[in-house]
Amino acid sequence: MAERREALSPPLRLWQRLCLLKFMKSVPKLIRHFANILILSAMLVIALNILLLYIFTSSQIPNGSPWTLADKTAKTLKYHKNGYTLSLSTEKELEKYNVWAFYIDNNTMQVTWHTKNLPETIPLSYTISGISNLTRGYINEYPTFTGECKNGLVVLGFPKESFWKHMYPSWDMDLIEKLPLRILQVIFANILLLLVIYITANIKLLKSVKPVTNGIQALPEGNPVYIKEKGLFSELAASINKTSEILQSQKYHLHKKETARANWIAGVSHDIRTPLSIVMGYAGQLKEDTDLSIEAQNKADVILKQGRRIKNLVNDLNLASKLEYNMQPLNLARQNLVAITRQVVVDFINMDTLNRHQIEWETDKNLSTCLVNADKELIKRAISNLIWNSINHNETGCTIFVKATSLNNTCSVEVSDNGKGASDGEIERLNNTPHYMVCDKNIKGQRHGLGLLIVKQIAAAHGGTVNIGHGRHGGFYVKFTLPLSE
Amino acid sequence: MDSLYLKKKRIMLVDDEPEILNMVVSILKTEGFCNITTASAVKDAITLAEEMPPELAVLDVMLPDGDGFCLMEQLRKNGTYPVLFLTACGEDKDKFTGFGTGADDYIVKPFLPKELVFRILAVLRRSYKDESPVVKLHNCEIDFDRAEVIKNGVHITLTAKEYHILNTLYRNAGRIVTIDSLCEAAWGENPFGYENSLMAHIRRIREKIEQNPSQPVSLITVKGLGYKLVTI
Repeated sequence: MAERREALSPPLRLWQRLCLLKFMKSVPKLIRHFANILILSAMLVIALNILLLYIFTSSQIPNGSPWTLADKTAKTLKYHKNGYTLSLSTEKELEKYNVWAFYIDNNTMQVTWHTKNLPETIPLSYTISGISNLTRGYINEYPTFTGECKNGLVVLGFPKESFWKHMYPSWDMDLIEKLPLRILQVIFANILLLLVIYITANIKLLKSVKPVTNGIQALPEGNPVYIKEKGLFSELAASINKTSEILQSQKYHLHKKETARANWIAGVSHDIRTPLSIVMGYAGQLKEDTDLSIEAQNKADVILKQGRRIKNLVNDLNLASKLEYNMQPLNLARQNLVAITRQVVVDFINMDTLNRHQIEWETDKNLSTCLVNADKELIKRAISNLIWNSINHNETGCTIFVKATSLNNTCSVEVSDNGKGASDGEIERLNNTPHYMVCDKNIKGQRHGLGLLIVKQIAAAHGGTVNIGHGRHGGFYVKFTLPLSE
Repeated sequence: MDSLYLKKKRIMLVDDEPEILNMVVSILKTEGFCNITTASAVKDAITLAEEMPPELAVLDVMLPDGDGFCLMEQLRKNGTYPVLFLTACGEDKDKFTGFGTGADDYIVKPFLPKELVFRILAVLRRSYKDESPVVKLHNCEIDFDRAEVIKNGVHITLTAKEYHILNTLYRNAGRIVTIDSLCEAAWGENPFGYENSLMAHIRRIREKIEQNPSQPVSLITVKGLGYKLVTI
């Protein structure tokens, strides 16, 4: 078995354990279920016992009780001139059970009639006390039963040891009246006793199960789990401990891998900055160089713009990976979202490089303060990404409208444009794309990409939301919403 | 703009990448800066600074024989000139270290030439404001040393709030300064609800510096966003 377990791949073993996990989670329910079954079983057993008792006792004398036979004999014994005669059927019945019979006359107390098979040892004369004895018990160890006739008494004698008679039968009426209640009480006491035995026996089981179920429930939370490997479930505990070890190991390696990837991205983004500075620096100079032809200046401008795109991309990539792997510390503080948005817009205008794009501030003049608990630099990044998104997707130019609003304990920044916008399908896809980095085989799908991804990541990190749609100016529209600070 | 005296300041550039040095020198020279020296390592920079202390140092953080933060501390022992970092280390913690150790500005590569020049000028203007001659506007001059506006030969005193607002606008001359930044300059951090007061102060400043306050030419309103000071 051990070999077989080892032969299974870790995911399969994990799967098996997860199945077990589901099973163990319902242990208390199972115990209740089994207790119910136990009670039902006990009741069935009692009912069955009563039934069997009835069947055995009723089948013991198929032709009724010896008292009935004695009565029947007394009734069928008739007096004629020649003496007493017994009906043929009764006679046969007596013969069948090897029963002898005699008749005692009331007046003489003598046996005046008897069957042929009457043993010789049986007295033929009786006193009142003798009759009393034979009624209660035996004559010479023959169990005897009596039936009353008109002028006497019929006595049947069954073979020795065929019956055991109560010599002192008497039942208290009170007991008989309360018998049904007593029976119920006995049944109840029996069930209670069974339950006590069952629960006592199961307490140990429950005690053993509890750490195991606790351990299994703690597994999905990703915390290390250790259960003492002893008792009834020692093997199960060992399996859970092993699972926890595997999970922790996987978690550690995943974290290590993620850190390595994030560091690699950070390294690349660092190393690319210096060469990009040189490209952008010289391109910026050439763009301003009036000795060059207009065409050459325009080309320099294109290089500058593309350089700027690479710069944004590198910054986004670095930040996205850090947010993804929780390596970006959030410097949360109470911030005025309107002021931050205004600063971003002003920075864009001050940059003085937006030849074909205009930015319009549409915020209500009465809304000057909207406090949110946020990391200022990340929020600036999110808003500027939204503006860059409009710029990058409308290369021929457009007007970008920025508006801060406050509604229902939230504060939003709406960035829209009058550019080419996006199709319904694309908007739906953008809204439904998860905010974390995904490896999408459809590379084209990433085109709108990293900028919006970061906005979503930043919103998620602040407990906010991002909604993408059609703007009222005809182009793209994004609403970045954060909860208000308390 | 009245920044000629600033462009004569001695600037020392320290970067281990010769191409960056050449490019920054080229950008600064194009903009009219004429006193520029360069070094490519901590050791060279210290020697250079001892020979002739610069009036502004632009340092890279990662240098072959040390880091820019330590270099700044060593340079500051011999002089209290402003230091600006120009680096590829764009992490928040690097920026905090830079500002925490007393840097005057921190620019992350890659940068736009215009941005670099503007920020160098802003640092120089802030650091050498005592030397600043009067600032010339279309209809007046501002003497920040005396906190006065000289209009048509008349000296008009600026209040403290007006001074802070105008000074902030001047340090960012030609660029929009947000309403929030101006409120912060006048009333300190978290200046919520001062927008109307700011408008009142702007109106009074305009009365002092503009020929026709209703049609301002020096202190321009950028609707909803902020204000811009235009110098000549």
